[in-house]
Amino acid sequence: MAAYFDLLSAKLGKAVSQAQSNNDNETLIVLSDKKLIKKAALEIKKKFDILFMLVVVDYKPRFELNYVFSSYSSKNILTLRVNIDEKDYSIDSISKIFDSANWEEREAYDLFGIKFNGHPDLRRILLPEDWPGHPMRKDFIVTDEVRNWTGLDLKF
Amino acid sequence: MHTAKKQLDDIEGNEFSYPGLSDIIFMKSEKFIETVLNWGRSNSLWPLTFGTSCCAIEMMTFGATKVDSDRMGVLFIGDSPRQADLLLVSGTITKKMARRLLNVYEQMPSPKYVIAVGACNVSGGLYHDSYNTIHGIDLIMPVDVYIPGCPPRPEEFMDAVRVLQRLIKQNKAKASLKNGSIL
Repeated sequence: MAAYFDLLSAKLGKAVSQAQSNNDNETLIVLSDKKLIKKAALEIKKKFDILFMLVVVDYKPRFELNYVFSSYSSKNILTLRVNIDEKDYSIDSISKIFDSANWEEREAYDLFGIKFNGHPDLRRILLPEDWPGHPMRKDFIVTDEVRNWTGLDLKF
Repeated sequence: MHTAKKQLDDIEGNEFSYPGLSDIIFMKSEKFIETVLNWGRSNSLWPLTFGTSCCAIEMMTFGATKVDSDRMGVLFIGDSPRQADLLLVSGTITKKMARRLLNVYEQMPSPKYVIAVGACNVSGGLYHDSYNTIHGIDLIMPVDVYIPGCPPRPEEFMDAVRVLQRLIKQNKAKASLKNGSIL
């Protein structure tokens, strides 16, 4: 699926590179600069309808974000891979471009502590608001304190 | 008086082991009224069903035709905490849900009884090492009867209700112990 790659590289130049994908209808594109995510999303919006998955992996150097886009009409899948290093856990939000990114980004914020700049409502989605820490990070250790935390003021 | 028989009842459990006639005659009036009230309460337990996962399926079977809970006075009438005596907590309780559960519990009128259904509510169960579940709901509220199992069969619900009825008749349920006189 070189067509989608050509489309993106025409706009973004050398910031994008294509990686090997296993299936015929899948395209895997790596974006080297995280500041270009909004631009890339606007380009992708022309060919793909929805963002149906945002996968975050805790690798080295730190987080790898996989935005998986899909199209209802062509049944093709495009994965956009962006890396975030340890200096700054933030990236621009694409929730204005793809509506489904809203909750996906909230989940990534909840479990990994990635900040999405420009998100309209960046709150925790699964855990309570006053939960300490981000549990899906590799350096998060489940201690007894975390296990027994209820966040409740109990008097019985 | 019947010390040996009473001990046996406490150990083995007997559904008829609520205070006997001779106990009632020498009882203080407050306790007498409470005993009579508790006898009534034990025979018409209206449950509030708080089902969050697979144990709730067994809870539905408990209320359905084959294991008919109505014949023990447990009527699945409506899910309103205002009219419920018994809270049937069945399913994993996450830390976010714990606040809602406590909220529902506090809305119930006293005396209120709680049955913890399934391994998750007894001790954390499968999620004993998780960061996001309550490891036994007795951490957040007083529990009268525990039903182990993952999930327990509907017959075990029946057994738990009979145990709870016995506790209430003996004035030993947590609600009776905590408040003393409920009049």
